[in-house]
Amino acid sequence: MAHSSASAGDSPPPSSPDTTQNNLQHFFVLHKASEKLTCSGKARKRLDLSPTKLKPEKKEWDERCLRMEAFQLVWSGIDSTIKDVLRNMNARVFNDIHSWVRDSFNTNTIKPFPPPSPIVTHQLFTAFLLTKNMEFVDDFLTFQELGLFLKSHGCHVANLSSSDFSPNNGIAGCLTRLLRQFLMRTFDAADMSILASWYSHQGNYGSPVVVIINDMERCCGPVLSDFILMLSEWIVKIPVILIMGVATTLDAPSNILPSNVLKKLCPCKFTLGSPAERMDAVVEAALVRQCSGFAVGQKVAIFLRNYFLNQDGTLTSFFRALKIACVQHFSTEPLSFMLGQLLAKEDSKSEKVVKGASEILLHARDQMAEQTDIPIAHCLTELKRLQMVWSSIVLCLYEAGKCGKIQLLDLFCETLDPDIYTSLASDNPTGIGESLATSLSSDHCMLEQDLSFRKGQTICQVVRKVRRHTSHSPVKIGKSQSINGKAAILVDCMVRYFMRPIECIQCHEIVCFRNVEKLQSALIGDSRKRIQVDLLEFHKILRCSCCSRSGNIPLSSMPDTSIVYTLAQEHGDLINLHDWFQSFKTIASQPRRKGGCKLKQSPLPKRRKEVNESENKSEASIQARFCRAITELQITGLIRMPSKKRRDSVQRVAFGL
Amino acid sequence: MEMNDGDNEEFGLSRNYFLAKELRGSGKRSHSKLSDIDVVDEQELIAAVSKIEPKHEKEVKELMNSYKSSYPEWAFELRCGLGLLMYGFGSKKALLEDFASTSLTEYSVVVVNGYLPGINIKQVVAALAELLWDQLKSKRKNPGSSSKVQQPFSSRSMDDLLAFLDEERKNECFVCVVIHNIDGPGLRDSETQQILARVASCSHIRMVASIDHVNAPLLWDKKMVHTQFNWCWHHVPTFAPYKIEGMLIPLILAHGNTTQSAKSATIVLQSLTSNAQSVFKVLAEYQLSHSNEEGMPVDNLYASCRERFLVSSQLTLNSHLTEFKDHELVKTKRNSDGQDCLHVPLTNEALEKLIAELSQ
Repeated sequence: MAHSSASAGDSPPPSSPDTTQNNLQHFFVLHKASEKLTCSGKARKRLDLSPTKLKPEKKEWDERCLRMEAFQLVWSGIDSTIKDVLRNMNARVFNDIHSWVRDSFNTNTIKPFPPPSPIVTHQLFTAFLLTKNMEFVDDFLTFQELGLFLKSHGCHVANLSSSDFSPNNGIAGCLTRLLRQFLMRTFDAADMSILASWYSHQGNYGSPVVVIINDMERCCGPVLSDFILMLSEWIVKIPVILIMGVATTLDAPSNILPSNVLKKLCPCKFTLGSPAERMDAVVEAALVRQCSGFAVGQKVAIFLRNYFLNQDGTLTSFFRALKIACVQHFSTEPLSFMLGQLLAKEDSKSEKVVKGASEILLHARDQMAEQTDIPIAHCLTELKRLQMVWSSIVLCLYEAGKCGKIQLLDLFCETLDPDIYTSLASDNPTGIGESLATSLSSDHCMLEQDLSFRKGQTICQVVRKVRRHTSHSPVKIGKSQSINGKAAILVDCMVRYFMRPIECIQCHEIVCFRNVEKLQSALIGDSRKRIQVDLLEFHKILRCSCCSRSGNIPLSSMPDTSIVYTLAQEHGDLINLHDWFQSFKTIASQPRRKGGCKLKQSPLPKRRKEVNESENKSEASIQARFCRAITELQITGLIRMPSKKRRDSVQRVAFGL
Repeated sequence: MEMNDGDNEEFGLSRNYFLAKELRGSGKRSHSKLSDIDVVDEQELIAAVSKIEPKHEKEVKELMNSYKSSYPEWAFELRCGLGLLMYGFGSKKALLEDFASTSLTEYSVVVVNGYLPGINIKQVVAALAELLWDQLKSKRKNPGSSSKVQQPFSSRSMDDLLAFLDEERKNECFVCVVIHNIDGPGLRDSETQQILARVASCSHIRMVASIDHVNAPLLWDKKMVHTQFNWCWHHVPTFAPYKIEGMLIPLILAHGNTTQSAKSATIVLQSLTSNAQSVFKVLAEYQLSHSNEEGMPVDNLYASCRERFLVSSQLTLNSHLTEFKDHELVKTKRNSDGQDCLHVPLTNEALEKLIAELSQ
């Protein structure tokens, strides 16, 4: 089937009956998987054996496989580290919830007589888990983990979300989901009795049944109310325990649920960590401690910070941004595959691999051409060492600045700044010892002087904090002052001599991703702006010679849709179709620059009929071109089509880029 | 500085907006009528549309070819678990299919034409499951626990299908879905988008999609963008004409925008029952043989359809006719005798083609 698809170069596509048929079908199979080369562990072996004998295509393929392997290794490291960090942050709350579940379950079941109060009043034990976060997307994982955690401790768990409580599907919808999760089957007629009989049989009895609802505020109120009432009706047969995520405050349940439903709940409150805390923990584990060896340059770090603070504010988006950065690093940086080798083999064998790899990639290393004599293996060891030192210093600074509410993300961006490092290094041509002596003798911090105000603000703040930190016991003030002074000098020296940002270390290209523009364009596609720019400044993309010097004046050689859209810029929010067409016609019927002379010569009397015909033809073709251009604008959504009331004009949708 | 830029941009936007509004209020607003344009005959217009000379053919071709160098990078990203989202002006249909058939040969690839209305998303998902099943079967003889359940995919529930696509398996089998116009009329509703997002997040699925509408990103919430689709955006303007994507959109200068081309009529008819198709054929054949008349009187149609056992009562015929009228396949006119006549608003050539296609 593959051969029948249109090849990109040919437009119009070859209209074989097959393709036309495919174009009109809702979907079709383009081709089935072929048994071709797939990346596997073999690639590395082949590399070890005979690196120079490989064909160029094979070589490229192997290299790509190596990079893919490296990516998988590195990313799985980052992924699991971040998940562990988040899990650890939640561990305390999860444990609390688990013991509460156990307690609730025991009060429900253990004492058959006299019946405990919640059962009599048909009350459901309900935990409200405050997420302190309006962005539900960050908490999906948390609730999933909570479910797994409770499952691993012997509970029956179902995870529901607001989409299961939609008014369309009503109570039947959530019951179906519930049955599916507990019984692993889909039933045509969902009924609580199925669930109750499932609970009484097959040894399910004796474990708590927990239903988790991720985001109760987004559920449809009436459906949720019905659901709760239904569960409370059945509580004697199946004692369900509810856990509901609440993003705002504890008022939320009373806003959504009527009082008769609220009476059925026996509530309890738990609280998760805030997004900022989580963010700091993730940055520390993934980027400062560098669990995987992958690093980002300063510009990328700043972009990631701004993206988190200004654009989206979710940890999930940060996570995705980091993943795209990682993918792009391994897909574009030829030397990146060595990171995988480094991680995979710590012993001396890695040297051999590195050697072989560097031979293969000699042709690709233009940026390192002048440094070929430097042994890469040595570079890598040094790189690793310096990174460790850098990371320790950043963590020291973070620890010192914690009481001053310094965010790790800010500190992280600053400590990656190559300018700070180079300016400090150039200030101190003398050795460490000498400068240490001058620092000790002087009373104030040199660092604060050396760092200009705009550059190392957070670092200076930390140093100041250290210097002015006073002990709470008044007797020790004098002593603590001198200790503080020394500590400040220590920090000064650490920053000055050992805090070398990744971009100032040799061979950093292997581990460090720096292409911020690429990352930005992959992460945030500004379709609204870019499509308009495509139309208005198409000559920058097509690079044709005929239209480039027109400025804002439409020329007949321009693509029709560009002409039409350029003309639309002159109109108000309504565009009169008649006027629009007339101006298009004026431009379209302008002779093209090359063919202009011919046209003027042709009207000879005996050819009048032909001319008339061709005029008619050109009128039709101009109208057709106008129609096509409008259709294309309609596809891009840049204009709204005429309504029945206003047949003569279309509406502009975008004003400015 | 960034804030300032943002402010300026915003200021520019609102300024433009109010300027545009002002223009509307002032006396400058034109009152010319669309009907003042001397529009050529509709068939001629349609014919002219199909004969539009492409501009900048060479440059467009070069542009398309220039993207070939990005194919390995795209394939890499896809393999790493990101979804590819292509945007920029111009049809990206040929580009995407070329990419899929040259760089994604190791995957099975399904193409979804989102520009067509009425896509049944469940059929698509079932087809994906079918392909994955084939692939798993060919990889080894015993494809896992699910082999016991041999219920056909088409009759399984959406949840089951998605669970099958998301099942964890040792071998790396992927099915790639190429969706032209994921923002198109056939896929635009939020329920379909939710399902597509769930499909995209399945471990055995990779997704490549294109968007053309400037507001397409509004279709997705943060969960869909960051955790399910995992989009990696690529700006790939092609400036290729939207020939196929625009084929069902009525031409703005065509009278009243109501006449349908034979193509869209075929698509509508194919979705109707075979009896309804036969009724339409009777009407069309009559129109072809009596091209001078106003149309076929309703009573005549009923009589001929009854003869051929196509309808049993006037009621059934009426229900077919309502369907035709709703889709604007048939119009009613009153002839000189005062009879209601039915006619198909298509030219004879278009009708002939239509009948030929229906008879296949």
